Amino acid sequence: MEYLVKLSNVTVKYRNNGRRYLTAISNVDLNISPGEFVAVVGKSGCGKTTLLKVVAGLIKPDEGEVVFNEHFFNGSKKRIGVMFQSPLLLPWRNVLENIFLPIEIVGEDPESYVNRALTLIERTGLKGFEYSYPWELSGGMQQRVALCRALIHKPLLLLLDEPFSSLDAITREEMWSLLESVFLYENYTTLLVTHDIREAVLLSDRVIVMSGKPGRVKTEVRVPFKRPRDISIQYSKEFNEYVAKIKSMLSEQHELQ
Amino acid sequence: MSYSKNVKSVLSTAAILILALTLWEFSIYILKIPRYILPSPSSIIETSTRYSTYLSENLLNTLAHAITGLALAAVFSLALSLPLAYSETVREAISPLLAGFNAIPRAALVPLLALWFGLGSLPRILTSFLIAFYPILLPTLTAMVTVEKELWEILTSFGASKKQILVKVAIPRSMPYFLSSLHMGLASALVGTVIAEMIASDRGLGYVILSSTSRLDTPLAFSCLMLLALTTFTLSKALGIVEKRTVKWAYRVST
Repeated sequence: MEYLVKLSNVTVKYRNNGRRYLTAISNVDLNISPGEFVAVVGKSGCGKTTLLKVVAGLIKPDEGEVVFNEHFFNGSKKRIGVMFQSPLLLPWRNVLENIFLPIEIVGEDPESYVNRALTLIERTGLKGFEYSYPWELSGGMQQRVALCRALIHKPLLLLLDEPFSSLDAITREEMWSLLESVFLYENYTTLLVTHDIREAVLLSDRVIVMSGKPGRVKTEVRVPFKRPRDISIQYSKEFNEYVAKIKSMLSEQHELQ
Repeated sequence: MSYSKNVKSVLSTAAILILALTLWEFSIYILKIPRYILPSPSSIIETSTRYSTYLSENLLNTLAHAITGLALAAVFSLALSLPLAYSETVREAISPLLAGFNAIPRAALVPLLALWFGLGSLPRILTSFLIAFYPILLPTLTAMVTVEKELWEILTSFGASKKQILVKVAIPRSMPYFLSSLHMGLASALVGTVIAEMIASDRGLGYVILSSTSRLDTPLAFSCLMLLALTTFTLSKALGIVEKRTVKWAYRVST
């Protein structure tokens, strides 16, 4: 199968108190195909963030490896877009300057990305706030800026770590529709880590269910809903059956422990 | 702060000051305290006007040395904070030395500086530099090395090198701390210059304080103190304005 990123047999251990090792994730295999939206769900502490950090290159696995398909990446592993739970914007930069940060880091000229930035700003509903500073924006708007920043250099892989969990319910639903439309426009390969099962089912093509201590891939569920998906599908019977199924998988493993 | 609130606070400060000076003035007369022990405000003002040329010459002299020392301290602190922030190894090697140096009472070095460099400008500039640099370096460096872990991670995943994180995040982030540390630095630099002038100089307000008290011309010494306080206060205010303009993001001031 054609893959964009492949994790084989990845194990990560944390050093605890200098002596004892704590296994965060153990023998994880995961293939992400180009254009696929994969969600990883699990309880907090199950190692799902560790998994994302391994893909982002922030943690080196103790065993196993992460392979980026050279056919797509062409030697540049830098084309990864990242978004975390908090927006992490730089307060001394305005919206536009914050969005340009990844461009500056890879050493390209932000001037040539102005049009792309303005398009993203318009699409995410930030028009008129180009020169505002982060503290002048609401939490939801800051997270939109973080999304624009993650997308500015058309990343081959988009990594999202609980990106909407600090937002209120209404803003979160807005961000879901926004992400769905962005995903349709530009078809990013996306890895989303979340503890919100509804979010995972609504947005992804495939839900990976992780069990904790140590983190392992327990099973995966394919989500068949056609795109574009409207957020109202979350009230349908079929949708809720999927949510219930995944929820029961998560609680099963809880009883085993 | 609104304009009327501002005026109110200035007026109330002025009222307290005038009340205190009046009390001071009358207690001197009532308690018959001799001038050479504690001069009255009016005699200090009278002395200040009589010696105005002499005092302003010496004030400018002191200021020139203190500000040169402060400028050197600011440049040196910034330049040194970069390698210290960049490398933990360098930081661990050098930080104890800096802390150890800070533990030496710098005033005690003045006689040595005078021995090496004479009674000219150099010992005064060096003393103010030596006293001012640590209070500037420490907060600046701390701000540089305490970049949030998440911010560090997100920049690293964008592909940023350690040097890029220093330039794009650590340095801009440290600027409010650097600028506010200049207030401490300014006061320290003036202390340094005045001490050096008292020990090894024949010019400057420190020298004037020493020579006037030895002649029991206490009003003149008080004039010097008043001038030093006023100057430090004014310069600090000016610095505050520069600070609010250059790092307005740190104060969340919308434009």
